[in-house]
Amino acid sequence: MRKSKKKQNRFEELLEIPKEISSQNPKITIMGFEELFVENYKSILEYQDFYVRLSTHIGIINVNGFELKLNEMTNDDILITGKIEGIDFEKIVDE
Amino acid sequence: MYIQILKNYISGYVRITVEGFFIERFINLCLKKGILLWNSKRKKATLLEVNIPVKDFREVANLAKQTQNKIKIKSKKGVPFVAHRYKKRKIFFLFLCFIIIGILFLSNFVWNIEIVGNQNISKEELTQSLKEQGLNIGSFKNKIDTKQIISNMRLNRNDLAWIGIELKGTNAIIKVVEADKKPDIVAEDEYCNIVATKDGMIAKVNALNGTPLVKEGDIIKKGTILVGGWLEGKYTGTRYVHANGEVQAKVWYEEKEKIELNQTITRKTENVETKYSVRINNFTINFYKTLSKFQKYDTIEENKKLKLFSNFYLPIETIKKTNYELIEETVSYTKEQAKEQAVNRAKQKLEAQIGQKENIVNVYINYQETEEFIEAQVIYEVLEEIGTKEKIVF
Repeated sequence: MRKSKKKQNRFEELLEIPKEISSQNPKITIMGFEELFVENYKSILEYQDFYVRLSTHIGIINVNGFELKLNEMTNDDILITGKIEGIDFEKIVDE
Repeated sequence: MYIQILKNYISGYVRITVEGFFIERFINLCLKKGILLWNSKRKKATLLEVNIPVKDFREVANLAKQTQNKIKIKSKKGVPFVAHRYKKRKIFFLFLCFIIIGILFLSNFVWNIEIVGNQNISKEELTQSLKEQGLNIGSFKNKIDTKQIISNMRLNRNDLAWIGIELKGTNAIIKVVEADKKPDIVAEDEYCNIVATKDGMIAKVNALNGTPLVKEGDIIKKGTILVGGWLEGKYTGTRYVHANGEVQAKVWYEEKEKIELNQTITRKTENVETKYSVRINNFTINFYKTLSKFQKYDTIEENKKLKLFSNFYLPIETIKKTNYELIEETVSYTKEQAKEQAVNRAKQKLEAQIGQKENIVNVYINYQETEEFIEAQVIYEVLEEIGTKEKIVF
């Protein structure tokens, strides 16, 4: 199982496929202090004016701030705007 | 992303409020179904405002029911809703159509003629001759055959070297290059005399070829032959040649200027009145009384053509008339002042005639004084080249 995964990784490196496509890791882009763009997320767990919680394949992203708005939501990317104060992550620990 | 939102502006979108305890679940379900949500705002812990495309509204309403949320439409936006609102305003659309048709109709005519490049020929003259060829303000654009007009203009007028007509919108731009008169050049192998162009007194004769017929100090008139185009030899007889040489003469320029000691001068005061009127093709509407409140006045008329964009002229003109009040005043000069003024004016006129100031040899000033006026006569003596070649005609 491990071997095959390694092989696959090498193959992808050879082809220079971008990581956000090949893996299921989320790509988080922050523009200034007021825009946060997340690609490859799974779902919204919580959404409040001051707190957004997004679940991804590798864990949970927490966004703290004020007047947070969700702009441009689609199935796999989301743009959060507002006064962002902090971001933290909760890793899913594998067994 | 932005393209998708823009698409929804055209196909219509609604802003809804969702109320309930399972708003996150509702959002997730919507996204799973592939419904685009944007500009969401959390008003309260149980209230969400969000935009959705109008075509997905039914599905969204179903999902809201599934997740036990209440849904309400806040506003409807986009092209279909606007169009629906304007459905009742039929007269508005009628006039809009009228205006569009009117503009399309008017754009088939020439409403402005712009003439570029003329220096000596007046614009009025050119527009007159263009009118004779069928290019006039108000003529139908499709009937104008520019090639025909150009060739006719070239045939009828020999003072044009080139003419180009460009129809841009309702604007006809006519570019003109004027033809210079050809200078008469006498070829080297032809026989010619050197002839005086002006009256004067000969100062220097330097004949390179030909027989000099005048000498220093001679007073000559215009047209006198200065250097004859022939040579006489004892044995050869008379032989014609191409005369060549330099003849300098003193030429007198005279200007008289009369200044009256007691003059009436008209002067502008600060009183101004402006009047406006509108001209539609040839029909003028005045917005004023024709009589001016001033007794004496200067009128300055400013015409402005209305145009859409840069080249679409409409047949409507606004005219602004400005009247400046004039006052007559009598001014009296002393004799000294009058003399100075007269001489200055005369000198200015003379200097406009003479090209180079360095060639002025002498200046004579004479005055004639009477009780009413002073007349000054200024004479400039100028050293000039006065010979030109003229072909000998046998």
